[in-house]
Amino acid sequence: MPSSVTIEWYVALSVILFTMGALGVLLRRNAIIIFMSVELMLNSANLLFVAFSRYLSDLNGQVLVFFVITVAAAEVAVGLALIVVIFRTRHSINIDDVNLLKG
Amino acid sequence: MNTFPLAPLILVFPVIGILFNGLIGRRFVTANRKTGERWSGWFATSMVIAAFIVSLSLFGSEISNGYHAVIVPLFTWISIPAANFYVPWALQIDTLSVTMMLVVTGVGALIHIYAIGYMHGDPNYSRFFAYFNLFIFFMLILVSANNYLMTFVGWEGVGLCSYLLISFWWDRVDENGVPMNANAGRKAFIVNRVGDFAVIIAMTMLFWTFGTLDYEPVFERAVEFFVEGRMVTIGAATFSIDAIVTIVTALFLLGVAGKSAQIPLYIWLPDAMAGPTPVSALIHAATMVTAGVFLIVRSNVLYELARISDVQFFGTISSPELVAYTGAFTALLAALIAFTQWDIKKVLAYSTISQLGFMVAAAGMGAYVAAMFHLVAHAFFKALLFLGSGSVIHGMEHGHHEVAHGHGDDGFDPQDMRTMGGLRHRMPVTFVVYMIGALALAGIVPFAGFWSKDEILAHSQRHVFLVFLALIIAAVGTAFYVGRQLQLTFFGKPRSEAADHAHESPWIMTVPLMVLAFLTTIGGLMNMPFFTRQISEAHDGHPEGIWLALEAWLEHSIHSFEYAVEGVVNLPKTPVVLSPLVAGLSTVLAILGLAVGFMIYRRNPKTAEDPDPLQRTPIWWLSILPLNTFYMKGVVPAFNRFAHWLAFPFEWNFWHDFVHNNLIRDTFVSFANFLANVIDTEGVDGVVNGTGKVTRRLSQALGVLQTGYVRTYALSVFLGAVALIIYFLFLAR
Repeated sequence: MPSSVTIEWYVALSVILFTMGALGVLLRRNAIIIFMSVELMLNSANLLFVAFSRYLSDLNGQVLVFFVITVAAAEVAVGLALIVVIFRTRHSINIDDVNLLKG
Repeated sequence: MNTFPLAPLILVFPVIGILFNGLIGRRFVTANRKTGERWSGWFATSMVIAAFIVSLSLFGSEISNGYHAVIVPLFTWISIPAANFYVPWALQIDTLSVTMMLVVTGVGALIHIYAIGYMHGDPNYSRFFAYFNLFIFFMLILVSANNYLMTFVGWEGVGLCSYLLISFWWDRVDENGVPMNANAGRKAFIVNRVGDFAVIIAMTMLFWTFGTLDYEPVFERAVEFFVEGRMVTIGAATFSIDAIVTIVTALFLLGVAGKSAQIPLYIWLPDAMAGPTPVSALIHAATMVTAGVFLIVRSNVLYELARISDVQFFGTISSPELVAYTGAFTALLAALIAFTQWDIKKVLAYSTISQLGFMVAAAGMGAYVAAMFHLVAHAFFKALLFLGSGSVIHGMEHGHHEVAHGHGDDGFDPQDMRTMGGLRHRMPVTFVVYMIGALALAGIVPFAGFWSKDEILAHSQRHVFLVFLALIIAAVGTAFYVGRQLQLTFFGKPRSEAADHAHESPWIMTVPLMVLAFLTTIGGLMNMPFFTRQISEAHDGHPEGIWLALEAWLEHSIHSFEYAVEGVVNLPKTPVVLSPLVAGLSTVLAILGLAVGFMIYRRNPKTAEDPDPLQRTPIWWLSILPLNTFYMKGVVPAFNRFAHWLAFPFEWNFWHDFVHNNLIRDTFVSFANFLANVIDTEGVDGVVNGTGKVTRRLSQALGVLQTGYVRTYALSVFLGAVALIIYFLFLAR
């Protein structure tokens, strides 16, 4: 790894990605977009894992990334299935329409 | 060979009689009047005769047994092992109880025979004999008991029989519609209750002090405790044994006053004459009323201890002295009251009170044998007099029936002596036997009454002069009213047609009279001196020098004699030799009294309407003495007012209205209302409903957080995560 690209750059990129994901989750109403934003947050975390794994010469970080990818895949499978079902019943994937548990 | 195991039979025979007459006697009488009466009456009589035969055999056994007391146990009545307290149902066969048994069953049997004739034609013939047997049964329990509680059972039982028999003709009313016979029965019962109350307290104290109620142990322990000078704690108070014997014997005196008709409770006995005459003879003269005297004689050890007790009334009068004064004063007062009575039976009733006073006075002075002697002699001659008066009444009723030709109820009183007179020609047998009884009552030699009364007088003359004075005046009074009664009843000319047509009573009534007259004539032999050794003043009062039959017989039951020899008690000695002074004085005074009585009433009254010759003299003021006026005008209304006050202002207004309704009911209702309306609706319901209400409010408040927007949840998770990060980064250090 070229020495000009230090660990700070990875951290900064990861923060930017995480912030974009978080803002997407909080601000968007389309369920698919929110889903993609969640993926973005997960992957920002993956990037940080890999970066620190390299920086600290510890493979544990890379092992954890595989776990995260696996969990994300499972999550996507369940989440997309839910979105499909919601769409079928409500003909919309706008999450503001899904408010049955409003107190 | 003794017959003590047979003793329970004296109780069994009367019970058979009660069952026969109580259960089936009535059927016999209603089925066939004549034979039914014979069965009913003779069955009851034969049971008493059987009991008399058993008593005779016990008498023989006592002699062969050396006069020792024998206890015949039947069963244990009360058993409290924890308190070591046992009351047996046991018969004490000793010389005293056998004497009483002989009198009760002997005189009782004669009166039963008489009643067969007297009660002839009565609609409740068998009921009368059932009650009569019941009385014999209870009287025998009373005299044969070996403990105070069993005696008390008999004591109450004879009171019950007295009540039943006084009001035997309970449906008779006087001209005002007052049921006087039923009232007389109630009066007797209630007045006796006052005395019984004292006996119960006395028994409780005896039990507390000595731990037993059996006679012999009580007396032994009493002497033992007395010699020790033991203290007894009752409740919070501590008494010396001196105080205990004084209190107990004084309480017994109140019981005796009730049963033996002494001042202040004698008022029931004159009214008790409302019963059939055999009842008056048996219960209210010969036996039941002597139960009080028997109780004192039985408790003689306690009385002798009380005599030497440190604790005395007013500091000087010991409890037995109080007994003596009560008896003497009763004897005097009742003898004076008898002057003013017109009813032949009322005279005898007051005479009975007076003679009982003699006995009680004798017992109080420590002359226990003299008291018993007079008791037995009096049982003979007073039963004789009452039965004689019954015969007179019977004759008068028949005479009146003959004259009135069935006009029946015209207010004629067959008991009023003013309507009598001249009966000696119409009823010669009754006259002779009545004469014998009357002379015995007046104290004329040689009849039984002279000997027994003289012994009491001699004893009092030696020991308590005040009592002697009262008794000698009472004796003169007795002679006077006896003379008056004889003159009014049997001498002179008939003052009514009924008296003119009176008939002699049937043999079944006169034969018992003759037997009693015989006993009255020879009864004095019972306690006359029988010379065994030389008479000397040194042996005076002691059975060594001289042998008195009744004294030698009874001294085995009167333990004071033994304790006196041991020097524990100070028993006053009764003179055993006839005192010429006392005997002479009393005889002269008796003859004088009789003579004055005869003389005053010889000419007047001439007709039934005439006033009494004494009516204008101060002596007639005695007529206020019966105290009936005092009781009826003073005590009874006061008691009624008190009872009314108890019943209305107190019981109804205060107790019922105020305490029950206002205090208890209203308090309870308001408490219940408080529970129902406040505690339940406000408290319990409030907690339950409040829990629901709080939960609902809380859920409403929390429900606001659930916006239904995923973004809100995501933001809260985000903020939570930020908060955690901040915590871990900066605060968890």
